[in-house]
Parts: sequence; C-alpha cells; structure tokens
Amino acid sequence: MIIYLLCLMLFCCGLYCILVKRNIIKIILGIIIAEYAVNLFFILVAYRMEGRAPILSSEVEIVNMVDPLPQALVLTSIVIGLATTTLLVAIAMRIYEKYGTFDITKIKELKG
Amino acid sequence: MSKEHDAGMSLIVKVITRFTVGLILLYGIYIVLHGHISPGGGFAGGVIIALSFVNLMLAYGKDVALKKLPRKTISFFESTGALLFLSIALIGFFGGYFFLNFISKGEPFRLFSAGIVPFCNIAISLKVGAGLFAIFIALVLLKFDWEKKE
Repeated sequence: MIIYLLCLMLFCCGLYCILVKRNIIKIILGIIIAEYAVNLFFILVAYRMEGRAPILSSEVEIVNMVDPLPQALVLTSIVIGLATTTLLVAIAMRIYEKYGTFDITKIKELKG
Repeated sequence: MSKEHDAGMSLIVKVITRFTVGLILLYGIYIVLHGHISPGGGFAGGVIIALSFVNLMLAYGKDVALKKLPRKTISFFESTGALLFLSIALIGFFGGYFFLNFISKGEPFRLFSAGIVPFCNIAISLKVGAGLFAIFIALVLLKFDWEKKE
C-alpha cells in the first residue's frame, strides 16, 4: 500500500511544479514528472508477488508472470509522452522567440 | 586534419564516436529484427537507431550527420514507414480482415516466424527512427528571426 502512496506523492510533486513554478521549462518538467508517476502506478498495479516478466521462451516455463496488459498500455503512453513533450518544447521555443522570456507572468500581450 | 573535423566536439569524443556509432546502429537493427521473440520491438529499436545518428550529430556537427542522412531521405523513410505499415494491414483484406496474418507462422521461438509481425516491426522502426531524428534536427537547427539577422 505504501508504494502507491509514494507514487501519489511523486504525482503531487509534478502537480506542485506545474501549478507554482513560473518558468515554462520547469512547468514542462513538472508535466513529465506527473506523467511518469502515472506510468509507475500502472506498472506497480500490474505487479504480482514474485512475478516474472511476461515473455515466453522455449527453455524455461514461467509459473506466475506479471500482468502484461498495463505494460503494453504504458509503452504506448511513453510514446505519446515523447510526442507531447516535443510539442511543448517547440511551443516554449516559439514563446521565447516572440517574447524573449520564459517567465509566464511577463507574457502579457495578446497578439494573435 | 581535414575540414570536416573543424566543427563538433574534441578529438577524444570524435574517435570514440567513430568506434561506437556503428555498434549502436547494429544493436538497434538487432532489437528490431528480434522484436517478435524477445523484449524490444519496432519502437525501442527505432529509438536506438535514431540515437546513433543523434550521437554522430553531437560529436561531428550538423554537416557530417546531414551528409550521412539528408533531410529528403529522412522524410522519405518516415513516409515509407507509415505507408508500409498501412499497406501490410490492408493486404489482409484480400484474405478476409484487417491485419490478417497471411504469411505462414513458422515454428515458435525461431527468427523466421510470426508471419507479418517482423515486417510491421521494420515499418515501425523506419517511422520512429526517421521521425525522432527529424524531431531532433528540427529542435536543434531551428533559427529564430533575430539569429538570422546577425
């Protein structure tokens, strides 16, 4: 049970970073931390006691394996996370080009 | 020293990169081709293939890396990967349904087995490898307006 709470704490660290920080780069880092906390939570839910990786092979017979479905989900989630992070970084670079700052409180002009 | 060694990092990094880049690329291809019998697969192998070119670009500068893999080639490979995956899935309609495994499955745990899965892995690795390197050069070589003027 306590590892799930630690997972929640990691997620809250990311959420704090998103809500409080003013630098865009730090906000992006917070989004990444929150996302990875959710991924870690899925992997921990799928774990069974003394389970092994769900990969069949010809030599060894695996008695109890961990649940493979959340692992496949998390693999897809990592791919989507890569794409969204790239998009966020590109938008941050464009914001820096337009306003000359990463501070979100100094971005005031609403020009299209 | 020749002219292409002016840009990039120091000599030590360049020599080590020259030895390791080929091995990294080969390891990525290995991960892709063994994707259906061991951990890994199209995405992981494609990332490793892209990282080998990223490594080359970091060590030798953009000119050498873009000479090895020009932008037109990158966009060609990326489009080819997507179209190849789609066409593999659509060929299944001739036999009945989407993603039909129309090639013989072979023996389990062998390299030449599992029907269309290795071909799907190769298509995904082309898409991911070219796409990730394209993302990298798009983020690195982006020029701002005030940089162009100077």
